[in-house]
Amino acid sequence: MKDITKLTDEQLIKIVRSKDKELYREIIVRYEKKLLRYARYLIQNEEKASDAVQEAFIKAFINLNSFNLKMKFSSWIYRIVHNQAMNIFNKNKRELPLFENVEFESGKNLEIDLTKKEIRERVNKCISQMSLIYSEPLSLYYLEEKSYEEISDILRLPIGTVETRINRAKVIMKKICQNTK
Amino acid sequence: MSKHQIDITKNVMSKIKTEQIKIKPKWYFWFGSLSVFVALVGLTIISIFLISLITFSLKTHGPMGTVRYQQIISNFPWWAPILVIIGLITGIILLKKYDFSYKKNFLFIILIFISAIFTAGVLINILGFDNLWIKKGPMRKFYQQYGGNGQEWNNNIKNNGRGRRSF
Repeated sequence: MKDITKLTDEQLIKIVRSKDKELYREIIVRYEKKLLRYARYLIQNEEKASDAVQEAFIKAFINLNSFNLKMKFSSWIYRIVHNQAMNIFNKNKRELPLFENVEFESGKNLEIDLTKKEIRERVNKCISQMSLIYSEPLSLYYLEEKSYEEISDILRLPIGTVETRINRAKVIMKKICQNTK
Repeated sequence: MSKHQIDITKNVMSKIKTEQIKIKPKWYFWFGSLSVFVALVGLTIISIFLISLITFSLKTHGPMGTVRYQQIISNFPWWAPILVIIGLITGIILLKKYDFSYKKNFLFIILIFISAIFTAGVLINILGFDNLWIKKGPMRKFYQQYGGNGQEWNNNIKNNGRGRRSF
């Protein structure tokens, strides 16, 4: 058997659907941290973010046959987490705190540059004070390193709108960050 | 990592292993797409036909058109569009719920769909297809019921140059 770490997400999904469900573990391993971080941006609550991500993985598995292998799996799974987080967010609007200090892990590199980490934490603080319609595309772009096209797929917005929101978000962010120095 | 955090990998994989969660079969999603497609086609045909019939009836009966319109409304087989609309809603719900991957602006699709139907219905009337359909074709009966019989229609065209009933 091929080294599963070398397989693309889409190749893995193909195998999970037809042969080996156990390989879904690899998908979870690849995305768990990234999705948790993303869910935390949206929900601002550690526990509920974990629930959202777990539920998203379950939903993704159940509906794996609806995934189009020509599309990007990452956009698909981010979209499911977005939906899940939005459901939780709407249900608990009053309950959830507006801001919670959460440690955001990069999930990529263990040797995190301290300055980079500081910047990331400051950015997170500023982002969490912004309206969700601006903070979400901004966090996807800068913190999740998604392209405009991927963000457009995840948020189901035209690319032009994504671009506009990110540009506006930058201006808003600059103002917020200057005030929170 | 927070103490709250659950072991997602373990939880999800145990549900998969114990078959508490299963992959939905492909036919489930095909059914969703197919029902939307069939419902859309059916709704299009029925709507175009209804609009064409109304405009045709209004054209043939002139100022009495409103009376005819009420007749059409009371006689029209409403079960057909109702069935199609139910199919459409079911399909959209299925797709919206499980089809996460594609950008579908359902409001935009519905608006385009409704404008296309109205345009097609009126175009049929303007281009004179209803004049043909009153004489032949599967919808002849309906057109004759709401616009008069084909022979009378032909005579009017010959005498007046247009298919309006003379009173």
